[in-house]
Amino acid sequence: MKIALADDDEDDRFFFTEAFDELKVKSKVSTFKDGIELMHYLEQAENELPDLLFLDLNMPKKSGISCLQDIKANSRLKDLVIAIYSTSSSEEDVEHTFVLGANIYIKKPNDFEKLKKVLSEVVTTNWQYITSGLNKDNFLLRL
Amino acid sequence: MIRITPSKLLKIVFGVGLFVILCIGGFTYKHIQELSESTEEVNDTQTLRTELEHMVYNLKEAEVGHRGFLLTHDSLFLKPYHESRLKIDQNLKRLDTLIVKDKAQRENLNQLEQDIVKRFIIFNKSLNIATDDEILTKDILLLLHEGKIKMSRIRNDISVMLELENKLLHEQQKKNEEAIGITPLFLYSILILTLLLLLLAYAKINKDLMVLKKTNKDLKIFKTLTEQAEIVSKSGTWMWKIKDNTYHFSDNLYKLLGTEPQSFEPNLESIFKYVHEDDAEDLRQEISNMIKNEDLPFVTFRIVQPNGATKHLKAHAKLIDIGFEEKQLLGVAVDVTDEFDSFNLIQERNQELERNNKELSDFNYVASHDLQEPLRKIQTFISRLETNDGEQISEKGQFYISKIKSSSARMRMLIEDLLQYSRTNNADKDYVNTNINMLLEHAKHELSDSIESKGAIITNDNLPNLEVVAFQIQQLFINLISNSLKYSKEGIAPVINISHQEVRTNTVKDIEKSLFKYHHKISFKDNGIGFEQVYAKNIFELFNRLHGKTEYSGTGIGLAICKKIVENHNGVIVAEAEPNIGTTITIYLPFLK
Repeated sequence: MKIALADDDEDDRFFFTEAFDELKVKSKVSTFKDGIELMHYLEQAENELPDLLFLDLNMPKKSGISCLQDIKANSRLKDLVIAIYSTSSSEEDVEHTFVLGANIYIKKPNDFEKLKKVLSEVVTTNWQYITSGLNKDNFLLRL
Repeated sequence: MIRITPSKLLKIVFGVGLFVILCIGGFTYKHIQELSESTEEVNDTQTLRTELEHMVYNLKEAEVGHRGFLLTHDSLFLKPYHESRLKIDQNLKRLDTLIVKDKAQRENLNQLEQDIVKRFIIFNKSLNIATDDEILTKDILLLLHEGKIKMSRIRNDISVMLELENKLLHEQQKKNEEAIGITPLFLYSILILTLLLLLLAYAKINKDLMVLKKTNKDLKIFKTLTEQAEIVSKSGTWMWKIKDNTYHFSDNLYKLLGTEPQSFEPNLESIFKYVHEDDAEDLRQEISNMIKNEDLPFVTFRIVQPNGATKHLKAHAKLIDIGFEEKQLLGVAVDVTDEFDSFNLIQERNQELERNNKELSDFNYVASHDLQEPLRKIQTFISRLETNDGEQISEKGQFYISKIKSSSARMRMLIEDLLQYSRTNNADKDYVNTNINMLLEHAKHELSDSIESKGAIITNDNLPNLEVVAFQIQQLFINLISNSLKYSKEGIAPVINISHQEVRTNTVKDIEKSLFKYHHKISFKDNGIGFEQVYAKNIFELFNRLHGKTEYSGTGIGLAICKKIVENHNGVIVAEAEPNIGTTITIYLPFLK
C-alpha cells in the first residue's frame, strides 16, 4: 500500500513513519516537507500516485487547504483518498475541508499508541466503498 | 365665520365714525340752508308787502293829482300824476320779479295789473273830457264814480294778495318751526350714536391692547427662555430677510463665534472671517445654494474663535413665509464640538477594540495550534519513552515521567478550557428554537464514560423548547453535569436531578432586575461534596477554585464558561450549596409569553 504524508514538522513525519513501521502493515510511506514539494511530485505524470494521502493543514509555502483545492481541480488526482492530519480540530477547518472533498479528518493524537490505532483504522478502511456514503457526522475521526 | 382682526375692526369703526360725522355735517348744512331759505322768503314777503303798500300810495298820489287837475285844470297837478304812473309801472315790475314761483299769486298779480290798467283808462278818459270842457260835466262825474269802483277793486286785489302772502308766510314759519324743533334732537341723537360707537371701539381697542400687552409679555418671556436655551444648548439663531438681504444674529451666535454680542454687522462676510480656511470654500458653495434655493440643509463647518480655539458648528435653516409679510429664512447654528470630540473618541475606542479583538483571535490561533503542538510532542515522546524503555528506567525516573505526564495533561486541559472560554465570547450568536431535552441527551452522551464509571443516576423533568445557541447550551449542560460528577462524594454514586419550572420574574430575588416578565428556571441538584454558601458567587469567576489541584482536577474555567453562556442568553446563574450535602446550580433563562 502506497501512503504519502505532507507535513512540515519533522517530528511528526518521524512519528508517522515509525508508527507505520510498528504497525506491520505492508506499506510504502513517502513524506513531503511542504505543499509545493507534494504537488510537484503528484503533478509528474510518471510518478506513482499514493493510495492514501495524509495532508497537514498548516504548512509553509503552500497550505494543506490549497493543496486540497488543487488536487480536486485536477482530473487525474481528484479521486485520491485524502485524510486531513492536523493539530487543530477547529470547527472552521473541519467544515472547510469537508466541503472541499477530503475523506476524513484526523486530529493528531498526543499518544503514540493512539496514533498507531488511528492510522491502522484509516489504512484498513475500504475507502472505495465508504466514499459513496460520506457524511459530516463521521468525517471527524473519533476513537 | 369670518374672523375680524383688531386692525380690521379699527378700520371699520373709523369708517363708520367718519361716515356718521359726514352725515351730521350734511344734515346740519341742509337744515341751515333750509332755515336761511325760509328767512329769505320772509324777507321777500316783507318786500312784497311794502311794494304793495307803495303801489297803493302811488295810486292815491295819482288820484290826488288827477282830482287837482280836474278842479283847477292847472297842469301843475298833472306832474305828480304822471310820476306816480311811472312809479306804479316800476312797482309792478318789482312785484313781478318777487313773485316767480307762486302760481296763485301770479294770477292775482295779473288781475291787479289789469285792474290798474283799467283804472288808468278811466283816468285818461276823464282827463280828456276835462281838457275839452273845462267844467265838471255829468260824464266826468260818472267817470269819477267808475274810478272809485275800480279803485276799491284794486284795493281788494291787493288785500287778496296780501292775505295769500300772509298765509304763505304763516305756513313757511310753521314749517321752519318744525324743522328747527327737530334739528337739535336729530343732531343730538346722532351725536350720541357716534359717541356710543367711539366708546365701543375704545372698549374693543382697549381689550385688544390688553391681549397685545399679554402677548408681548409672553413673547418677552419666550425670548428670554430662548436665549437661555441657546446658552444651555450651545446654539445660536439667525434670520435672513430675503427681500432687503439683511441679517440678524442672536446674541449667543456671537458668543459661539467667541465674540461679544452684536459686536459686528450681521452679514455673511463677517461670518466668513471666523470660518476655518479649509471649510470656507465648501461653506460658500452651500451658502450660494442657500441664496439660490432659499433653503439650507444641514451643514457642518469649523470656525476659529479670536482666541484661537477651533469649534465645530452645525447649521440649518428653513424658509418661513406664513405669517410674515416678507419671506424670511430662519436658521439655527449649534456648537457640536463636544459631540464631534466624543464621536472621535468613540471611533478611537472602536479601533482599539477592533485591534484588541484581532489580537485575541491571533492569541486563540496561537493557543489552539502553536501552543498545543509542542505539548503534543512532549506527550508523544513521553509515551514513546514509556513503552519502549519503560523497564530500563529507574523507579525514580518513572515517577518523574508520571509527573511530566500529569503536568502536560493538565496544561492541555487548561489550554482547551481557555479556548472554550474565549470561543463562548465571540461565537456567532445564532439563536435557534431548539429542543433543550435533546441538548441534555447530547451532553449526557458526551459524558457517558464518566457517568458509567461513577455509576451516576441522572433524572430530569421535561425541558421546554428555547431560542438558544445550541452548542453553547450543550456545553453548559456538559460543564454542569461533569462538575457534579467531579465533585461527588467518594464511594457514593452521584445522583443528579434536573428540574424545570416557569417563574414570574418578580417572584424571584435573583432575577428581579431583569426586564423580562417570565423565566425558565432549570436547576441541577446533586448529592456531592457541596461547599460553604459564602463561596457561592466566587465559583463563577475565572480561575477561581475551592479545592487543591491534586484533590480535584478542575481548571477554574468551567463555571466561568457556564456563567458566560447563561449571560449570552440574557439569563442568570446562581449556586446554592451545603458542605457534604450537595450543590444546586440554578439557571434562569428569560422568555416571552
